[in-house]
Amino acid sequence: MRLDLKSKLASVFFLWVCAFTLDWPVNATLILLAILLRYVVPGFRPTSQRAARSIVAFMSYSTLIVLIVVSLNAVLLPGGDVLLIVGGIGFHESGALFGLRTACRLVLLSLSVLLFFASTPIREFIRFLQGTGFPPQLGLVLLLTLHFLEQLPDRINQIFAAQEARGSPVRANVVSRARAFVSILFPLVLSSISESIDRGQALELRGFLGQGQMPVFENRRSDTSLLTMSLILLSIALIILRILNWLIA
Amino acid sequence: MSLRAQFTRETSNAALPLIAFCIALNLTVGQITGALKIPIYLDSIGTVLAAVLVGPIAGILTGTFANLLASATGSPTMAFFIPVVVVIGFFTGYVARLGWFRKWYLVVVGGLLQGVIAAACSAPISAYLFSGVTLAGTDFLVLYFRSVGNNLLESVFYQGLASDPIDKLITYSVVFVLLRSLPKRITSRFSGASNLPSNNGAP
Repeated sequence: MRLDLKSKLASVFFLWVCAFTLDWPVNATLILLAILLRYVVPGFRPTSQRAARSIVAFMSYSTLIVLIVVSLNAVLLPGGDVLLIVGGIGFHESGALFGLRTACRLVLLSLSVLLFFASTPIREFIRFLQGTGFPPQLGLVLLLTLHFLEQLPDRINQIFAAQEARGSPVRANVVSRARAFVSILFPLVLSSISESIDRGQALELRGFLGQGQMPVFENRRSDTSLLTMSLILLSIALIILRILNWLIA
Repeated sequence: MSLRAQFTRETSNAALPLIAFCIALNLTVGQITGALKIPIYLDSIGTVLAAVLVGPIAGILTGTFANLLASATGSPTMAFFIPVVVVIGFFTGYVARLGWFRKWYLVVVGGLLQGVIAAACSAPISAYLFSGVTLAGTDFLVLYFRSVGNNLLESVFYQGLASDPIDKLITYSVVFVLLRSLPKRITSRFSGASNLPSNNGAP
């Protein structure tokens, strides 16, 4: 099943609504289903090896976080029955439940965002935004940011190595290293601002944002699919149910 | 000046690449602090730089896009804190217009105030959306404050108060020193040049 970006965004929105309106066992099931989505639905497959690795890393990290959050809450927040005692430390039921609720919500929210971005190239996302009436200058900002993001790590490494070669205290005590931070940051900012000025002049010369705006992307509009509408309606229904439930209680 | 006119002014051809650099700076400054092993975040340094050099809308755009891109590149919870960076961008741009980046003591006051405001803005998001857990090391501090009898919102706010003012004070100070050392021929190209001291940098 191929998914357009609107359906994917609607899926993310639906998972967010579920995270806030449903209880932790449902959210835990949804987390497992969301992980399955990554393998089953082509539209949610990671776009690169790096994106796939980030999902695996996130899952290992979040498993650890769930364990820590549940254990710490169970130990520190007394209330309810004592589930078990390890080395004289009691694990309380209400704290454990609070931890489970919190951890499941957090993992579901985070996973939905991660699945969306791991399966959507940023350039495609920017093109989608432009198609929905996003100002062209903001699209350009995002594209330029990608350019800077590719360049900055190398530039930082170069400046770091150069300052170290000049005897900058990059491996001394904290105060000296803080001073070294400034000696790395300043040339980085200065060179990057100079570059950004050159880019601004190039844009000016090419007439960007001048009279007869330069089209960055063609305006593509797509119809809202049945899946998108169903997910949005389901989300609204869940919100209404939750509010009614809260009012009755 | 209307909001539309201000948006047009702050997204001029000169400002767009600077905003892009500041977004990238927010996302990569961790690489420098990580390599130097200094225990500070400074992840809003680009937001503050853009807000002072260009204006509040540029600051808001920088913070918003930086958080969106951070969500896309492995820190998914950052997207939910966009309201906080909007406040940081607006506040910094506003105080810069009032001339607070011309005197060092006003920079100190602004940084501390910004830290308290950021803590107050992030506390409800962190407490109500994530129950105080945001997958950061400071989560342990929230649990500590809860275990000594505070409610969730108070605990998250106290945790913010313990870290945000110092982080924002350092961020403001670094940007202040940075802007003072930038040559005037560079700063004068941006709409926020009037926010800086008249004797700023070399000609």
